[in-house]
Amino acid sequence: MRRTILGKGLVCLAAALLLIPLQSLAQDLSAREIMEKLEDNRRATSNSALSRMQLSTCKFGVREGKITCAERPRVKSLESVGKGYGAGLRDTRSVAILLEPAAERGIGMLSFIYDDGARDNETWLYLSALGRVKRIASGSSDDETEPGSLFGSEFTTEDQDTGKLDEYEINLLEETVQAGREVWKIETIPNAERARKSRYSRTVLYVDKERFVELRIEMYDQYGKEIKRMLGSRVEQMNGIWVARSTTIMNLVTNRLSNMAFLEMHTGIEVPDEFLTQRTLTDAAFRETELEKLRAQIN
Amino acid sequence: MRPIRIVAVFAASTLLAASNQALAQDDVLVLGDDVQFDADADFGFDYDLFGAAFDEDNSASKASWLDDFTIKITQQFSGQVNNHSVTIPSLFSFPREAELETNRLGANIRYQNAFAPGWLLQASGKIRSYWRDDYEYEAEGDKIDIEYRVNEFFLQRSFDQHSLKFGRQTVVWGETTGNSVLDIINTNEFRDFNIIDIEDARLNQWLLVWDYFGKDSNFSSFLNIYPEFNPPAVRGSPFFFEPAFNLTDYDRDSGLQFEAGTKWRKSFEGSDISFMAAYLYENQMRFEDPVSGIGDAIAQVNDFFLLGFSANRAVGKLLLNFDLAYSRDVQADSFSFPGTASLANPVNLKKDQIGTSFGFEYAISNEQSVSLGIQAQKLLDEDEGLLPGQALINDGVFGSWLVRYSNTLMNSDLVISSTLQGDLDANSLLALLGIDYTVNDNWTVSGQVISITSNETSPLIFFDEDVRLAATLTYSF
Repeated sequence: MRRTILGKGLVCLAAALLLIPLQSLAQDLSAREIMEKLEDNRRATSNSALSRMQLSTCKFGVREGKITCAERPRVKSLESVGKGYGAGLRDTRSVAILLEPAAERGIGMLSFIYDDGARDNETWLYLSALGRVKRIASGSSDDETEPGSLFGSEFTTEDQDTGKLDEYEINLLEETVQAGREVWKIETIPNAERARKSRYSRTVLYVDKERFVELRIEMYDQYGKEIKRMLGSRVEQMNGIWVARSTTIMNLVTNRLSNMAFLEMHTGIEVPDEFLTQRTLTDAAFRETELEKLRAQIN
Repeated sequence: MRPIRIVAVFAASTLLAASNQALAQDDVLVLGDDVQFDADADFGFDYDLFGAAFDEDNSASKASWLDDFTIKITQQFSGQVNNHSVTIPSLFSFPREAELETNRLGANIRYQNAFAPGWLLQASGKIRSYWRDDYEYEAEGDKIDIEYRVNEFFLQRSFDQHSLKFGRQTVVWGETTGNSVLDIINTNEFRDFNIIDIEDARLNQWLLVWDYFGKDSNFSSFLNIYPEFNPPAVRGSPFFFEPAFNLTDYDRDSGLQFEAGTKWRKSFEGSDISFMAAYLYENQMRFEDPVSGIGDAIAQVNDFFLLGFSANRAVGKLLLNFDLAYSRDVQADSFSFPGTASLANPVNLKKDQIGTSFGFEYAISNEQSVSLGIQAQKLLDEDEGLLPGQALINDGVFGSWLVRYSNTLMNSDLVISSTLQGDLDANSLLALLGIDYTVNDNWTVSGQVISITSNETSPLIFFDEDVRLAATLTYSF
């Protein structure tokens, strides 16, 4: 027994010694390196991953210093499959299929997100009423408009974007505390080229120093007004990846918020390339068969 | 005040209200750093307004055979509300009185079941019950009438890079939404003015569809061995005109009729393109007087070849659409008017036709979008074969334009949309203002105001100054 306790103590000590250089390494990271690690973590959540999510949207208000829904939220549930592509798997292809509500069941969205800032992300939507796959223009042409929305929520394709770091000036503002966690406060400012495609003139991120997860993001418009705020909570490890299982984005202009709750996330899934094509949107027999195969990998 | 002006004022007021709201949105809510989520009520998780989402038992399977069904029940009222008269210059004049046109209860049922790996059965249908004052009630001698129709009904088998679908289904070609020159594979039925979207008017046909999904491009081919045609207007409907002779189907014993076509589609970064070729029958039959002068009208059908190209291009928030169609041997005098059958015409010539439709879609914001589609067609060598004094109905460039605007308000519960549709010669204008309100995930209420303005050179002259109101209550589950 004594030997066991001693053994555990030695293991803890060794772990602590190992963590010290890691911690100091983390302290020495540049703002750019922090953003790269953050993005790597983000990509890991969608690389070879099968997720089930719930998307809730409502008009919000502030009551006694707390944010609350001012109406019954509209809730959609969806299943998403993603995979990394390109050099360093920095591009992402994903398919999201609506499961609920019944009236919208089967609506699917295929997205290609490119790391390279020179390449616009691509989105296709399948609406059974329309009877065909429809490309959605996802870029933003001026500062006054918002990019494509994710199934009518406040999450836009720009908010889901990864990569393109070369097109931003990235500054470490300070080290502070957010939601009881030590965080880096980092600002990103788009260059002229990226600014033409973005609604945000400046973004401030609060990145958990240990987990490389955003706990808070503030988005500012060209007049320096904060127009959106995103809060990450319920940070948990899912399949070895730290994830904010509940992410809420508040549009401070329209007073609408959307919450994305990761109910399930499974990584390390073998996703065939053919699944991340327009065929998945139109060929329901193929889609359901492949989804069953993916689900079987979880079990 | 002419009805169109009323609608224009109404539409302008709505747009003004929407723009006022957009301006009001410039007032940014300032949140303090210490603002937190309300952890009360059913949130059950500190800092997390939506914690209840995680409370469900994810491992519990709620699968039920009922999940494969989507059912929508609707009660619809609509009517022409403007008392006026229509004058056909130098011919006649007739009164148009306000009256209820539709009063009907319906159910749309959709079933989709991937019952085995690679297999899928999909079906949809509708049932309608026509109540008092509905034009179909009156056409049935003031009796409640019930109508059934199977829309989709197909079996699909997908394997490797192939997919085969057999049964009643639609095939949609073209990129332009609403008025593509390539969206002509399916027959359609415009029974009332409540249906102005082609998406709602398409009818399914018995088809075998084979899709091949290649590494970089796809082929989609179809075969139809029982071509169907646009049904004649339903007796009593606004589009119905008492014909001089009974309109019947065409003589199918005269030989094997079939339609076939194939489309090749490839996606590039920021763009999709398609090429297509097809052998088709014109959806609209042409009727000629019986030779003896009595009996049924003689239905004539016309086969033709179609070559097409379509493309889209995303430029920032703008999506550009383009369709091009070359039709060989189409009827020069096809009288195409929504929901009506072709009327006999002295000019019976086949000609080649070139057509294009193009437009854009622009998402102004997450809530607002606007789109424009223009369709233009021209018969080639249009004067060739005409006798002295003869003229074609479609002379020169003819076609239509379509503008749509929609604004989503109240957390997507309220959608205000407007549609303007007219012909290129500015002979007619159809204006629609629609409001859809989602009460909850099951209930929706919608209303429409539809106005028509036309001069005597358009078939819509019969509906000039008509104003229609429609209301629909829908329950979906």
